[in-house]
Amino acid sequence: MIMICPGCSCLCDDIYIKEGKVFNACRRGNEIFAKYKENRAVARVDGKEVDVDTAIEKAVEILKDAKNPAIYGLDTTVVEAQRIAIDVAEKLNGYIDDNSSFCLGELVEAVLKGEMPTTTLDEVRDNAYVLVYWGTNPYHSLSRHLSKYTYYPRGKKRPRGYDEDRFLVVVDVRRSETAVLAKKNARFIMVDDDAELVDSFVKVAEGKAAKYAKDVGVIINEMKRADFNVIFGGLGLKYGLKDLNQFKEMVKKLNEVAPVYFIPAGFHGNMRGFNETLFERVGHVNKYSFRDGKSGEEFAFTELLKNEKIDAALIVGTDPVYSLPFEVSSKLGKIKTIVVDPRMSFTAKIADVVIPSAISGVETGGTMVRSDGVRVKLEPLEEKEVNDVYILNKIKEGL
Amino acid sequence: MMRFSKFLKVEADIVVARHALVMDETKSKAEPVIFLHPEFAKRSGVNDGDVVEVEANGRVVKLKVKLSDKAPESGGVIPNGIYASYLTSFDGFKRFKASIEVAEGEPTSAEEIIGQLKV
Repeated sequence: MIMICPGCSCLCDDIYIKEGKVFNACRRGNEIFAKYKENRAVARVDGKEVDVDTAIEKAVEILKDAKNPAIYGLDTTVVEAQRIAIDVAEKLNGYIDDNSSFCLGELVEAVLKGEMPTTTLDEVRDNAYVLVYWGTNPYHSLSRHLSKYTYYPRGKKRPRGYDEDRFLVVVDVRRSETAVLAKKNARFIMVDDDAELVDSFVKVAEGKAAKYAKDVGVIINEMKRADFNVIFGGLGLKYGLKDLNQFKEMVKKLNEVAPVYFIPAGFHGNMRGFNETLFERVGHVNKYSFRDGKSGEEFAFTELLKNEKIDAALIVGTDPVYSLPFEVSSKLGKIKTIVVDPRMSFTAKIADVVIPSAISGVETGGTMVRSDGVRVKLEPLEEKEVNDVYILNKIKEGL
Repeated sequence: MMRFSKFLKVEADIVVARHALVMDETKSKAEPVIFLHPEFAKRSGVNDGDVVEVEANGRVVKLKVKLSDKAPESGGVIPNGIYASYLTSFDGFKRFKASIEVAEGEPTSAEEIIGQLKV
């Protein structure tokens, strides 16, 4: 059986499963399919096991009683569930946010607004010459990015693949596994301050002297040789720059001398799906307040928690205890928390209500959006009735 | 034999990054590990397999040391997860400074951190 892996935003569509064995997947994808029955969440209310309907009823009660509820997560579930979650947030007149507000949401929003030219990974495979990985180490975060879409494949216009038809650029604060690949037809730039490198690209494109002029000059000359170049930006870029407008200006400036596209690199399987779904609905990709009718930093889930602005949270398919700074996650103990998750996550262990759900892409199907905006339809390995769509619909009906 | 490095506290640059070999898709466990650059470890008197106390933002965890030349030369990498999240603040979400010293005992368990959340 051929499956799409929901493990990361590559959404690899060639996972072959036969007699319980998983082929073509990275280590992470292999775990998703091979260990999907492990550490499953159990319906709980106040630490006591209950049936799923009782847990959903309690969740509805908490949300109804809450003065300032928030919905958070949703990046590992399908678009169909994300739409219902937005309905729930609207019905509650509350807040909704996902991981992208501290991840790559700002860059996705720039792409959706047409502020940076973008392309698809399939086009990259066939056409791209200069590949810039900036602040991302796909070797660990998007393990098949290089082999399936970018550096190694032999594309239509790039028949010699990485041997001669790609020029790899890696920008990082350390010599990562991806940086080590940057040997022949390549440049590795170790930065301390990303803004200085952005500034160098802008200045060299204008023919001026700059700190990284030697390396940047070579890269821009290589870009000029091709009709298709791409920059993949990760969290290192986001946190390396205080102002992402500088980066957007740099991409604009580079496009005056050579065609350069941008694709966000990182994040959960369907983070872009959430960004696009909310964007279609309210014109913003994340941190949205239905009460105020706008998006803002103060409505980011992390800010709401830190500043004690919410009294209840519905957390779907994400694990803030695992992933958010302690100064933020420690506030979860002060509010009512409802966790909808297939796994008994760290956050589920401290939640007031736990509602077990199906694993999207394994036990339930639906739509997800790849990091480049391509929509894919996932089919389940086996169908489980109680999935995120079912649970969120029940909550919506109950409110 | 008592090691001199036991009493040596050094400052380190920490990068927080995904690590495919440490990630657990079942969300059941977290590996208390820090990847130190071999040169940094040598300078600091830390050996592969040591347990070190890592302190940042007024919080401390004990992590097991693995050496990796993919770590920053002036410190190490802590994989994304509960240990990095415990130490970091939003200002230094992906990169922060910490102090490191060789410690006795076992690495910190995830349960010890979770125990501080719901009191």
